[in-house]
Order: sequence, then C-alpha cells, then structure tokens
Amino acid sequence: MSPALEATGLGVRFRRTWVLRDCSLSVPTGRVAALVGPNGAGKTTIMHTAVGLLRPALGSVRVAGEAAFVAQDKPLYDSFTVAEMLAFGRRMNTRWDDTAAAGRLAGLGIPLERKVGGLSGGQQAQVAVTLALACRPDLLVLDEPLANLDPLARHDVMRSIMAEVAGRELTVLLSSHVVSDLEETCDWLIVLNGGRLQVSGDIEELLDGHLVLTGPDGASAAGTQVVGASRTGRQVSMLVRGAPPLDPRWQARRPGLEELVMGYLRSPESAALPGLTGVGA
Amino acid sequence: MIWVTWRQHRAQLLVTAGFLALLGVLLLGSALEASRYVAEHAPPGCPGPAVACGDLAAALGQRYNAAYSVFGWMPLVAPALIGAFWGAPLLGREYERGTHRLAWTQSVPVRRWLAVKLSLLGGAVVAGGLLLSLMVSLWRPVFRTGVDSTFGNIGVFNMVGVEPAAWWLYAFALGTAAGTLFRRTLPAMALVVAGVAATMFTLFQLSDHYAEPVRTELSGTVLLDDPDARLVSAAWVEPSGREVAEPVGSGCPRRVDMGQSSKNAEAWQACLFGKGYRYAVYHHPPSRFWRFQWTEAAILTLTSAALVGLAVHRTLRRPG
Repeated sequence: MSPALEATGLGVRFRRTWVLRDCSLSVPTGRVAALVGPNGAGKTTIMHTAVGLLRPALGSVRVAGEAAFVAQDKPLYDSFTVAEMLAFGRRMNTRWDDTAAAGRLAGLGIPLERKVGGLSGGQQAQVAVTLALACRPDLLVLDEPLANLDPLARHDVMRSIMAEVAGRELTVLLSSHVVSDLEETCDWLIVLNGGRLQVSGDIEELLDGHLVLTGPDGASAAGTQVVGASRTGRQVSMLVRGAPPLDPRWQARRPGLEELVMGYLRSPESAALPGLTGVGA
Repeated sequence: MIWVTWRQHRAQLLVTAGFLALLGVLLLGSALEASRYVAEHAPPGCPGPAVACGDLAAALGQRYNAAYSVFGWMPLVAPALIGAFWGAPLLGREYERGTHRLAWTQSVPVRRWLAVKLSLLGGAVVAGGLLLSLMVSLWRPVFRTGVDSTFGNIGVFNMVGVEPAAWWLYAFALGTAAGTLFRRTLPAMALVVAGVAATMFTLFQLSDHYAEPVRTELSGTVLLDDPDARLVSAAWVEPSGREVAEPVGSGCPRRVDMGQSSKNAEAWQACLFGKGYRYAVYHHPPSRFWRFQWTEAAILTLTSAALVGLAVHRTLRRPG
C-alpha cells in the first residue's frame, strides 16, 4: 500500500543545532500512528515539517493528499465564537464540510454562539479537531492532542477521532509522551529519541518480534539481539529482538507496548527500523 | 480571506473609523460656526489683509487654536497608535498565541494570507491617513485666508497633503516587522512608539537637506517677510562681504536682554545694520511644499516597503 506520509533523510536544524537527523520513515494509508519520545525528541519538529510549517535543511517529507494539523495547545482565536471559527475554516479551505462540522459540534453539545475563549479545555480540543476534520484531510496530524485534558476529556477526544478513522480512509499521526493513551487506539509506532528515529513499524509486528526475557545473572543471551537490559539483584530482565536465546534458564514473554517503548528509549543506540538489520546492545 | 481579515481586525478598523468620524464632526462643527461668525460679524471687505479685519482675524484665530489644540498631537501620536494597534499585533499576536500554526496550515498558502492582510490593512491605513489630510485641508482655509502655515509649521505640514498617509503606512510597516522580530505584541508596540518618535526626529533634521536652501540677504531687519518659510540657518555678512556666524570687533555694544524683552538685541542689530552689516538667511520658501511632501513620502514609503519585505521574508523563511 502506498504511504500516506513518507520522510526521506530528513534533517532539521535550528541555527547550529540539529533537532532532527537522518530521519526516514513511512506511514501506510489508513493507519493510526503514534509518535512517541521524550520531550525535545523532535516530535513537534517532524510534525511541523510534515505540514509545511518548517522547511527541512536536508531530505524531504511527502504527504499523499491533503494534511490537516492541530498544533500543540490547540490554538484557536479566543475572541471568535465557535460559529466564527467554523466560518474561518470554511473561508480558509478549498475542501470543507460544513454540515459535518456543525453536526459534530452539535453532537458534542458545544454551543455555536459561545466564545471559544469561554469553552473548557476539552471543548476547545474538540473544536480544534473538528476544524481539522472538516477539511476532509487524507492525513490528520495531531501534536499532543491529549495534553492538559482530564481523563474523561482524553477519552472523549480519542474516541471521536477513532470514529472518524473508522468512517473513511484517514491516516492519523499523533504524538504523545504518555504511552498508555495510545495503547488501544494506535496500530503504528514511531519512536523518536534525541532527534533520531529509533522505531518505526506496525505495533502488532513489533510486539510479536520482541521478547522480554527474565533470568539469572550470567545466563547467556547468545543468539538474540538485545535492545536493553536492566538488573534487579541477581535477576536480569531484558528486551530482545528476534528469536528466543538458546540458554534454557530464560523465561520469555511478549512485551507490552509501554515496555517496548521504554526499552528503546532507555537505549538510544538501539533501533528497530525497516531494512535495518544490525541492532546494537 | 477578506472576511477573516475583517473579523480579526475589525476592532482596530472600527475604532479608527470612529475616531476619524468624530474628528470630522468636530472640524465640520468648528468650520460651520466660524463661517456663521464671519457672515454675521465681518466688516465689508473682510476677511482680508485690511486693518479693519484685525478683530475678525483675532476672533478666528482663537477659534482655530481651540479646535487645533484638540488634535494638534496627531502628527506624532496617530502614527504611533496605528503602528502599535494595527501593525504590531498583525503577526506578533499570531506568534504569541500560537495561532499562526492554525492560520498557516489551512489550504490558503501563507504567502496569500500575508498578501491579503498586508494589502487590505495597508490600504485601509493609507485611506485613513488621506481622509485625515482631506479633513484638515478643508477645515483650515475657513480660518486662515491669506496667511498659511502648512509648510513652516512641521505639525501642520505632517497633517496635510500625503504626509499622514505616508506616516501611517510607515508605522504600520514598522509594527508588522517588529511583530516578526519579537514574536510578541507588547515589545513590538514599544518598538513602534520609539521608532516613530526617532524617525520623526531624524526626518525633521534631514528635511533641511531635501533641497538647496535659498539665500536671502536682509538689511534693517532679521525677519523674513514670509512667515511660512522654513529657516535653515542664518549668518551676519560683514561690510567686506565675508559671512560670519558672530560679528567680532564691530564696535556695537551688545547687552544681554532680561526676561521677555529683546530691546538690547534689537539695538545691537540696528547698530550692526548701521555699520553696513547685512543678515543672510538660508531658508526654504513655501513654494517647495509639494517637493518636500513627496520627498518625505518617498522616504517613508520606501522604508515601509523594506520593512514589509523584511516581515514577509522572516515569515516565509521559518513560519513555524
């Protein structure tokens, strides 16, 4: 399937500091991709480059079709009413579905005549997402859409995005540094760390391709690719990639998404990328 | 895009339009009252240069000054306000609130967003400046028949002709550029106020050099007979024809005047003229009004273009 988003050799620099280096990835159409990484990893940079807010110093990003973007903190014009925000979207876009947008807001119980500045954080997030969806985008880019929202609003926003994905051929790229928010909704994982790409792939395949091993200190890990290891007393626990090791003293199980992400973030030198075979330990 | 511009900037547009309307009503009322006064009180042949018209001229002068004091601050303050409230928030506020990431990720390209906003708001600013100039130019002749001070008085000069439009446009461009530099509204506003004041001072100094001053040699008086001329400099001319700043060894007693009196200075000048000295005055005659208007407008417009170019360049280079 052709990718909805494709980055090749992407490098972004602010003055003399490289905030993104040699980043190549592709997200297939129809996926909900989670972009995770610690603060300052380059998540926002990669998104800004994808939607044209930043020009890369090296490489390129290609979006198949139209992209819609909801920036961090969900910026809206506070003095506008919700109806005026919709008018803004209608006049600023070639593709615009007014009925869907108005219907969506009515369904969420957000009054059109209310000033945006007077809405709750969750409602503002919903208005921002509604504006982005009303452009009928092929790719929806959401930068930390769940930040600063209470658990109920996080759930509501996520559920309403998922409803849109189910309804049509829409690819979503969303960033978060809270992995548990993404567990149920995303099927593609991108891990960024310190401006470098560590992981990019289908979540199920990634989880199937990794093992969490626990065993006594001194057990041989020969025959596996170790992503990272941690020691507690005499017990060693590690995340490995590929086939289980020969040493029978290991207990192996499938990792959770959070374990997989944390395993890679703790070992910035490891990577699991398509077409990349050598994985350091 | 036109609706978006209107919706985002309607507060500035309405306040400015309301202010100009209020000033228009004030000027119209003042002019009508003065015309009625002239119709009722003017002796035959007045207003005019005749001696009998003196009382009428004084009464009109009082009315003129009363109205002028209401808006005499405008040449300096109006451009500063335009720059601070039209220019500085245009990009500064978008950056400050992060809304540029909303505005510049819609289908309308950043280039077009900028072009529409700059041309519509810039056009409105120029129109507002021209309207002010038109109103002041229609109002003044009601009071000042025969005598004019549109050239010599820098405050009036900056309120007539094309000057207000040029100043307003310059302040708007300066504010817009400052908004991209600071990416915040308040510092950009401060820069505009300081920048407009500094530019006004600089151009005031520079205006002496817009043209080669005319040299007039006076004898018996140190005052030009044209009160609307702009003085550049003056010097004494010795009987030998040499020009000096201060006559030395003329033999005329020079005493310092006390208080408001200029008796001693006048006596000294009369003595110098009596010894064959003349007084050379370098000045610009009022006939250079349009030359000066267009020179200053050109300087301001070109600077505005450069500032807008800077703002556009900074915006397009790294919009994020």
